[in-house]
Amino acid sequence: MKKVAIGGGQGFWGDSPDAAIHMIRNADIQYMGCDYLAELTLSIMAKQQLKDPTKGFAPDFTTRILNEAGKEAWDKHIRICTNAGGMNITGCVDGIRQWAEGNNMSGYKIGYVTGDNIRDKIPQLLKDGWTFPNFDYDGNFNDILDKIYNCNVYIGHEGIEGCLAEGADVVITGRAADSALFLAPLKYEFGWAADDWVYLACGMMAGQLLECGGQGAGGNYMYDWRNVPRMDELGFPIAELTEDTFDITKAPDCGGVICEQSCKEQFLYEVHDPANYWTPDVNVDVSHATLTQIGENRVRVGGVKGKPRPDTLKLCVGYHKGWKTVSMLSFAWPDAYEKAQYCAEVIMKKMQRRGMKADDIHISYIGLNSLHLGVADMSEEALKNLNECVLRIAVFSEDKKECAKIIPEISPLQLNGPPGASFFGGRAHVQEVMALWPTTVPRDAVKVESHILEVK
Amino acid sequence: MPEIYLNDIAHGRSGDKGDTSNVCVYARKPEYYKIIEREVTPEALKAYFGDMVKGEITRYDVPSLGGFNFVMKHALGGGATMSLRLDSLGKSMGSAVMRMKIHVEDGEL
Repeated sequence: MKKVAIGGGQGFWGDSPDAAIHMIRNADIQYMGCDYLAELTLSIMAKQQLKDPTKGFAPDFTTRILNEAGKEAWDKHIRICTNAGGMNITGCVDGIRQWAEGNNMSGYKIGYVTGDNIRDKIPQLLKDGWTFPNFDYDGNFNDILDKIYNCNVYIGHEGIEGCLAEGADVVITGRAADSALFLAPLKYEFGWAADDWVYLACGMMAGQLLECGGQGAGGNYMYDWRNVPRMDELGFPIAELTEDTFDITKAPDCGGVICEQSCKEQFLYEVHDPANYWTPDVNVDVSHATLTQIGENRVRVGGVKGKPRPDTLKLCVGYHKGWKTVSMLSFAWPDAYEKAQYCAEVIMKKMQRRGMKADDIHISYIGLNSLHLGVADMSEEALKNLNECVLRIAVFSEDKKECAKIIPEISPLQLNGPPGASFFGGRAHVQEVMALWPTTVPRDAVKVESHILEVK
Repeated sequence: MPEIYLNDIAHGRSGDKGDTSNVCVYARKPEYYKIIEREVTPEALKAYFGDMVKGEITRYDVPSLGGFNFVMKHALGGGATMSLRLDSLGKSMGSAVMRMKIHVEDGEL
């Protein structure tokens, strides 16, 4: 019976390449998917590209994965699908072409998918009456039109599958949905129809379990993190599918764990309604799904259902929102928290006198409540004998100058404030705040195209 | 009635989409499912988080996996891009949920 194995090689831009390289060298896989794009990544890439047109993608895919193991992947016929193209697919493809030429890989086929970047189509869509309603907040899209960094649609599997059908050894996309990188090869290999909703849903869930890399194999694992074997050599998950079965496993001779609990934690990660998990390719229903341990580091996925795909596609618009700055000062025992708190009061009084117009101020105490905020333990017992406490003040303003006003006021508190204040990490700087406008576009407004570049 | 941390009987993970945080919560043993079902209602969680979660909380039950998915709107101080919080992605929202204290009946554990 035909079996297809696909590995998850990257969980985000900046992830370790170790597991992907190990997998190419040691696992029996035919495909690998490498996800580089979180929600905001494209906006960051768009900003980089504005400053330097040769940037705007994840060069790490070439420099850290292909350089190390790309030739071996090619030799073993392991085909890799990745959204490393980001905002600059051409730039990414060009880098891969140069790498392949440098390695005498004549005949290497680089596939790439265009069409997710619909910035040029926005004016026409507005004219046609599309209002780009914001999923999360009220607001008028017209108000952000002159502040936009990027407009990218979460596209589905079609473009990637098209490249694979043309023989691509590697497929580069921009904002393809993370799990489409995994669904596309599975659909291509098994010849699933575009309305085989149950199979498509299984393909999407394979992607769901793989797209975050290590998080699917014992990383960020609440259930039993102490006993994850060899976390320093954490392997990433692999999905193995046949016509009838869908298993999650990992490469031989690496760390990590594949068990029911590790799969469960990833299964609903960033899913909202489990009965209606909308993706570009299928509306997935995992409300009756099962995960069953059937062997060492092997879990069988069952009960995944699918319903017809949506008529609209998710569009993420990144735009300029304002500025923020974060300052910190540390305090030690005794009365560390009391000192830090008093210091915050002193700084705020000074800022009031300076007339700082902040749109938002967030004060927290690292080591005490900066993570759990309102539900942190602030009892007398927790505060007593605190060894140390770091005051953290974050300021947001639409006006950069207002935001910057607090920066020079922090370090003087070492000599002018409560005892033992220590300033560290250098002066804070003002950072741009980008915001997302999550919305939809009609499917027919998006034209996805597959291309192939063969290395000479 | 003894009071325990949800953490004692559950595990899970938090994720983010914009300003929405989702936390999946699974029973560490099958028999704990009904305790979580009873104790960790959306209302109880909303009251627990107070001002920290500004929007509505929805609970989706997935008994076949022995767990629940909590979707909390306006829960991240604006979300990854906008949040002034140290943990702008809400990576620690999962452990914040696990910190909730719940009641168990004698003999339930």
